[in-house]
Amino acid sequence: MAMKALDIYKNLPKTNCKKCGYPTCLAFAMKLAVGKAEIEACPDLDPETKTLLGGVTRPPVRLVQVGAGERSVAIGEEFVLFRHEKTFYHPPGIMVQVSDAWPEDKVRSAVEVVRDTVVHRVGQDLVLTGVAVKNESNRPDRFAETVALAGGGSSLPLVLIADDPASFEAALAISGHYRPLIHAATGDNWQALAALAKRYGCPLAVRASGPAELAALAGKCADAGAPDLVLDPAPRSLRDFIAAATEIRRAAVGRTEPALGYPLYLDAGSFGEIDTALAAGILKYAGIIVTPPLSPASREAALTLRQNIYTDPQKPIQVTPGIYPINEPGPSAPVLLTVNFSLTYFTLLSYLDASRIPCYLFVADTEGLSVLTAVAGGKLTETLVADSLKKFGVVDQVDHRRLVIPGYAAPLSGKIEDATGWKVLVGPRDAADLPGYLEKEWKA
Amino acid sequence: MTESSDEGLAIREVRLGATRAEGGTREVSYVIGGERALPFSGKRPERLLVALEICDDPRFWPPVVRDYVGDLSNDPGEWARAAERTYGADLVRLNFTSTKQRGFDAFDAIAATTEEVLAATTRPLIVEGSNEPELDSEVFRRCGEGGEGERLLLGTAEADRYRSVAAAALAYGHAVIAQSPIDVNLAKQLNILLCETGVPQDRIVIDPYTGALGYGFEYSYSVMERIRLAALAGDADLAMPMISAPTDTLSVREVREAVPADQDAMAVAWEFYTAYSAFVAGASIVCVRHPRTVERLKKALEV
Ligand code: B12
Ligand code: SF4
Repeated sequence: MAMKALDIYKNLPKTNCKKCGYPTCLAFAMKLAVGKAEIEACPDLDPETKTLLGGVTRPPVRLVQVGAGERSVAIGEEFVLFRHEKTFYHPPGIMVQVSDAWPEDKVRSAVEVVRDTVVHRVGQDLVLTGVAVKNESNRPDRFAETVALAGGGSSLPLVLIADDPASFEAALAISGHYRPLIHAATGDNWQALAALAKRYGCPLAVRASGPAELAALAGKCADAGAPDLVLDPAPRSLRDFIAAATEIRRAAVGRTEPALGYPLYLDAGSFGEIDTALAAGILKYAGIIVTPPLSPASREAALTLRQNIYTDPQKPIQVTPGIYPINEPGPSAPVLLTVNFSLTYFTLLSYLDASRIPCYLFVADTEGLSVLTAVAGGKLTETLVADSLKKFGVVDQVDHRRLVIPGYAAPLSGKIEDATGWKVLVGPRDAADLPGYLEKEWKA
Repeated sequence: MTESSDEGLAIREVRLGATRAEGGTREVSYVIGGERALPFSGKRPERLLVALEICDDPRFWPPVVRDYVGDLSNDPGEWARAAERTYGADLVRLNFTSTKQRGFDAFDAIAATTEEVLAATTRPLIVEGSNEPELDSEVFRRCGEGGEGERLLLGTAEADRYRSVAAAALAYGHAVIAQSPIDVNLAKQLNILLCETGVPQDRIVIDPYTGALGYGFEYSYSVMERIRLAALAGDADLAMPMISAPTDTLSVREVREAVPADQDAMAVAWEFYTAYSAFVAGASIVCVRHPRTVERLKKALEV
């Protein structure tokens, strides 16, 4: 189990010399305890203490970076088995697989989809992560050409999937400095692949069936100089994957087997059920998911599930409270009360943008709760509305004193009138009906 | 709360439906629950069921489903038969959406439709009764009576309205869906309330409320995991099987505003990702509305 800050502190020199970059040894200990500092930063530790503390303070799942530059992906560095225990930090990379046996056009268009697809949700841009190139031609030169066609790793992160070291040599000559993930070292080829991973500084996937075999193989590759590993438990079925992934994550976060402290790999194409595999991988601990090209519907649902599961449970995605002018409103434009839950804000915004109706969105701080939840939980109150009207200086922006409130906030309408002195109009419940409502009911 | 790698305590078993031998007319009855470990952990038993939802008044039903099933939506009996035989659902969930209309008073039709759907199907039935507190006692009585002896799964009990549904379940021998808004403690409290009114623990199925994918699903997912973990750790008041019905899924923007050619695909993808994830979090029964989602889920459970 992880060590508490105070227990770590007891093992530090306690001189507060600041060489680690923290003001005190205790401050450093607190960072170590949450896996946010490296034990190496303190130069005054004897090797034994360093090994002891290093073992208990490094993140239980190693952070592994695949790719280089803006679109690279960092996976691992996770601390819990269930998201409600804290949160999950690093969403899995979804890598769309192409084959070097495909015609060039087909490869190109699959790569374009990965590069250009963006799903806008609640103020975030959701994208597919990268491309996996599979060697099915059995020709190293074809493999290398297809890797080049996929951008060579310069823009999108890559996974290189092959068996024989010669194919990897050819592909890495092109893409090696962009940190592609090499898949996969097995009992047969691990020496050659670990050597390549070391030479290029690339992450390496190791593949073996079952946690015990994986741990043994991972240990060997790490010792051979390939520290950035990804584990492929070679599942026979998806149930098998979920069971193995859970066991591996449990061993990692419980620190019972350090050689399992790496992110996981899932080939979603191998069960004849792509959506199921994508969902299972997102929910149960995959760090890299390789998938055949996806339909638009699958893409959007998978990216949304990934966003949902990797949202901090203690902190809904929020927007800053305040008064937001929409569509260049003048002083007689309507003022619309809403909450600072991102989903609510962006849902409203998309309807208002489309309708071109000028207005002010008056976003109250409900700590990220939706309208109905905030009303039910007592977070949206007349006092909050009155205080926020003042705080955001709404009176200076408009020449009227009328406030449109969400339909679900109807029970508060009288109280808001009393507390603010503004006239309250109860709007519709569904944001889709808001533009129609404003056109009919709002007379400047 | 952490989960030990040892076997946990068991989730209580709940029996749904009654065969002739059991006093009903179903060709099969189901037992759900009984698990001692996390879902998909490789340990049996794991009895997962896919329900297709139908309704008695299609005006209150998602347009994408109405378009897909066509005339069936005006005939609950035929719709239920197709659910089983054509679409492959393990069971049907019949929603009395007619009770949403103002001034509803067609109580006789409630009993008649319940009987009609029972006659059209061979498997256990879930009945979702009243949508309106004032109608609860009469509607639940009629559903309960219409399904007497068939051990329906009757819904929905909530913290401020559970007496009518509990009374009907007790009087006619049914099991009850207990719904609370995404909160472990509220789920537990409601179970305790239901037990105090005399509903046995092995006749309660927890509905922790399922927000749609992208619209609060993450909260539902985590609450299901927490309920399951609490049960395995020994909390008897939470050791009931769970049911998940992502009711709002087909009215989210992504589905409503999909281009017509993609609408079915989007509806199915949205329901599928939500419902499959609910299974992974611990649900024993998932309820969906698009017929094609049923087949997808059944396949998903085989890999
Ligand atoms: C996810 C969720 C939660 C999450 C919170 C998520 C969040 N960040 O808000 C959690 C789990 C924390 C939660 C907690 C609770 N919840 Co809750 N929750 C939900 C759920 C499933 C989805 C909410 C959501 O995301 N909606 C989507 C957003 C976009 O909706 P919205 O903000 O209302 O915005 C829409 C409209 O209001 C409108 N709109 C918005 N602004 C404006 C402005 C104007 C001018 C106009 C005209 C329109 C408009 O447009 C939007 C799109 O149509 C709902 C069920 C549901 N279907 O709504 C229950 C629900 C809201 N919760 C409920 C309850 C009771 C609670 C709790 C009180 C339970 C408890 N544990 O004690 C707590 C309260 C929180 C607290 N302790 O303070 C009930 C409310 C019952 C009621 N009718 O009053 C619901 C309806 C569930 C149910 N059926 O029982 N909840
Ligand atoms: S470098 Fe070491 S001794 Fe100095 S303050 Fe940091 S932890 Fe303490």
